[in-house]
Amino acid sequence: MDISPYETDNSVSCRLTSQIPDVCRKEDCCLGIDEAGRGPVLGPMVYGICFCPVSKKEALKDLKVADSKTLTEAERENLFQKLDEAKSYVGWALQILSPNTISTSMLQRTKYNLNALSHDTAIGLVQYALDSGVQLKEVYVDTVGPAEKYEEKLSQLFPGIDVTVRSKADSLFPIVSAASICAKVARDHVVKSWKFAENLGEVDTDYGSGYPNDPKTKAWLLKYLDPMFGYPQFVRFSWSTAQTLMDSKAVTVHWDDEEEDGEKAAQRQNNRSMLSYFGASGGDNGQNPTQQTHRFFTERRLRSLNTL
Amino acid sequence: MSCNTSVTHVHVSSVDQAQKAPVHLIPCEIEHNGPAQVSQYFTATIKDRKHEKTVSFRGRGLKGQELSCPQGYTGLVLKEINKPGSDQEDRTVKVSSVFDKLTYWNLETPPNSDDTVVRAMDWPDLAEAVSTFNKINLKFMVQ
Repeated sequence: MDISPYETDNSVSCRLTSQIPDVCRKEDCCLGIDEAGRGPVLGPMVYGICFCPVSKKEALKDLKVADSKTLTEAERENLFQKLDEAKSYVGWALQILSPNTISTSMLQRTKYNLNALSHDTAIGLVQYALDSGVQLKEVYVDTVGPAEKYEEKLSQLFPGIDVTVRSKADSLFPIVSAASICAKVARDHVVKSWKFAENLGEVDTDYGSGYPNDPKTKAWLLKYLDPMFGYPQFVRFSWSTAQTLMDSKAVTVHWDDEEEDGEKAAQRQNNRSMLSYFGASGGDNGQNPTQQTHRFFTERRLRSLNTL
Repeated sequence: MSCNTSVTHVHVSSVDQAQKAPVHLIPCEIEHNGPAQVSQYFTATIKDRKHEKTVSFRGRGLKGQELSCPQGYTGLVLKEINKPGSDQEDRTVKVSSVFDKLTYWNLETPPNSDDTVVRAMDWPDLAEAVSTFNKINLKFMVQ
């Protein structure tokens, strides 16, 4: 699998695709969707679709694709090779969601949570297949959330397509297993050969599985914590593991959209909050009201200085 | 309230030795004053797209652009040489670096001409216009 298009800029999301087999534009097709790397605090999350003619379901079964989680890395590579050899009737597409995309989405002013991000990515991939002329009739989706609601949502978005959403779909439907293999192979490659955009010199790549409870991952996160910047973009800042470590070991950073106790924020900024007017010691002993600054200056945050 | 009677002196002669330095204005408050690995973590990850720059800091997306200092002005980065023991003592700062442009960053919002710091640069022109009527000299700084 060639992941170089993603590696040219691994801070953003990237789509990798196979050729669309001609037969998929002519015959009714089934399509499977699965993801890899939802839980880890390191690296991207990869969404994958795999599709083939409904008439080739048995042929796909004969390739002996199975749930990617039950396979070793070498077995997955091997199966991906087989899928590639079957490219006359099997096609795939991947959406690599970079850890930076995950962080900045989840930490956005208007929060964009992982479920919404996942759904939108899956929907985007199905739409890609349709736009490429694949004659979709059946879609099978693996999910971690409630299946019924998701199934309803997808059925409404794609009328005329029979949508099946199941937990553990990757072990029930070979076309979903195939999608999970494509996604997992891509994630493995990306994590293994991660090119740090930061200038960190030689980086220790012994980061384990990337799951927060892996001792190797934990040790790596401790080793690569920078007191100012926190982490390189390889880390998902929105994960509580990363946040907790930064809270205890990095300098505190305040953003204007943060939910912070009003009184505390005011104290920090060395001015008084509205609340203090209701306190026992309230009363106006602050600045001289005759020295009120003109709007021209406050709007530009300009102030006259008499000390540094 | 402070009753500060001390005077702050700027070592103007240090301007000549001061190097130009890249300056970033970021939309958050950092409880730290001191060195940081800016070029390794921050500058190295800035993406320069057509009309805006993008980067992230602590997992939050920033969009920014370069802003020149007003014509005839130089930006100064000041550093205090010896911290005084009390607020009654005079203070001395030297110019540690200079800049004629800076990069300012917004949290997620694309930079535009309504941004506070862009509008703040209106002041020198206005100040000059005002001072031709009135010989008032106002010191200013961007908060």
